[in-house]
Amino acid sequence: MSISTPSLLTGFLRKNGKWGFRNYILILPLHNALNQLAEEVRVSHPAQTVITSVAHDWSGEIDSDWDRIHRVFSGFAVNPNVGATIVIGVGSAVEEEIVQAARAKREMPIAYLTLKDSGGFDNLRKLVAESVSEVFPLVTSIKRESAPWSAIVLGLECGGSDAYSGITANPALGVASDKFVELGGTSILAETMEILGAEHLLAARAKTPEVGQAIIDVVARYERSITYEGIDIRGAQPSRGNIEGGLTTLEEKSLGAAKKAGNAPFTGVLDYAYVPTEPGLYFMDTPGHDIEQLTGFAAADVNITVFTTGRGTPTGSAVIPTIKAATNTEMAIALPDLIDLNAGTIADGTETLAEVGERIFAEIVDVANGKLTAAERGGHREFNLSRLYGSTQ
Amino acid sequence: MARVNSLIVLDARDNIAIALQELPVGMRIEQSDIASILEVKTIIPRGHKIALVDIAKGDPIIKYGERMGHAYLPIVRGAHAHTHNVIGDRVSTEPTG
Repeated sequence: MSISTPSLLTGFLRKNGKWGFRNYILILPLHNALNQLAEEVRVSHPAQTVITSVAHDWSGEIDSDWDRIHRVFSGFAVNPNVGATIVIGVGSAVEEEIVQAARAKREMPIAYLTLKDSGGFDNLRKLVAESVSEVFPLVTSIKRESAPWSAIVLGLECGGSDAYSGITANPALGVASDKFVELGGTSILAETMEILGAEHLLAARAKTPEVGQAIIDVVARYERSITYEGIDIRGAQPSRGNIEGGLTTLEEKSLGAAKKAGNAPFTGVLDYAYVPTEPGLYFMDTPGHDIEQLTGFAAADVNITVFTTGRGTPTGSAVIPTIKAATNTEMAIALPDLIDLNAGTIADGTETLAEVGERIFAEIVDVANGKLTAAERGGHREFNLSRLYGSTQ
Repeated sequence: MARVNSLIVLDARDNIAIALQELPVGMRIEQSDIASILEVKTIIPRGHKIALVDIAKGDPIIKYGERMGHAYLPIVRGAHAHTHNVIGDRVSTEPTG
């Protein structure tokens, strides 16, 4: 399918060669008792569109998933859409480790302010605000410049799927994803449970036998983990509701979710929150939980995401512009402040898959160039650590 | 009035298409992405699959350009392709008798 030449892509070139499509100052609390302080500093700053922050429930515990927590926080701190990061903590050794890892990952301003050294909570708030003011001129002096297609690191996500997801928004996103991969960009499919039953078909699209085997292996590991929990979802899939909606086989259902990744060959498989090392299409082993997936993408240097939804899920990221594509026209009309584009026209019969694919491609370019998404306008900044996943393996 | 298609063909390699409305028996469908006029042989509910070609028993069912299962009974062009004649290749038990 041919896609017409889009407008020029622009972004912020980072010292490590990565490109950002936003240029944030991120306030990152490493203890849940400091979430409110981060939020207060963010909202009190006059330049609301430049400052971003997150809130989460971690308070320094180290469990068997410490590697994963460490990787997520340190990776999130250095996402290419961030120009400077102000880490705030209580002043513990584990926080120190995260900050050191972030500094090793990317050369950029990373401040670390602790409650222990602050002289009190109110004073810490003042110090964080001063730190924001200090880096503000530096960050805002970085200007957009012309970017190559390889700048795109696209995250593919779906949530609140419906009977139309697999015939409208998902395959249309696949058309756009294929085009970015062909142009030298990177695209990442995720959600291991959603490819169960179709993994052999995706493995057949792997560039090497090793990558194919890795796709089979991540699904097998997931299958073992759900068997361990005493659940066997396979026998109940597709569900009665799916069958009534027209889905016949498990392969068909999983292919519908995987169609976000079009038909391009797979370059590699990534563990949760790992950064891709070369351009191409990847599969990332993530939970099905939307926000955990989005957080893992952010820690993996994803700089733009398209999220297909049948229900208008409000989810957004503090650092990644997240474009919402509606799978059906009724919802797109009902929830206009949550939706960026409507792919439901395919089911209405008024637009083809190729036409909607072209619109998604153009929207990705526009948003990369600075157009705000519905989730950004609405201030949606969800963040979830993926905590216990993997602990039973 | 904008053009309105009755079917969506998800990939040029597919041997089935998806009904965008309920298709009554005898309806003749003419669409740019279908080789020749398709006559509906059995009622097709909205969102369900219709065979674009004659599919023999054991033939793969191709959707999105990929194999999603196979026919365990023959399906004529224009007929409904669903659980009564299609089954997954992998996690499934083929009906017998």
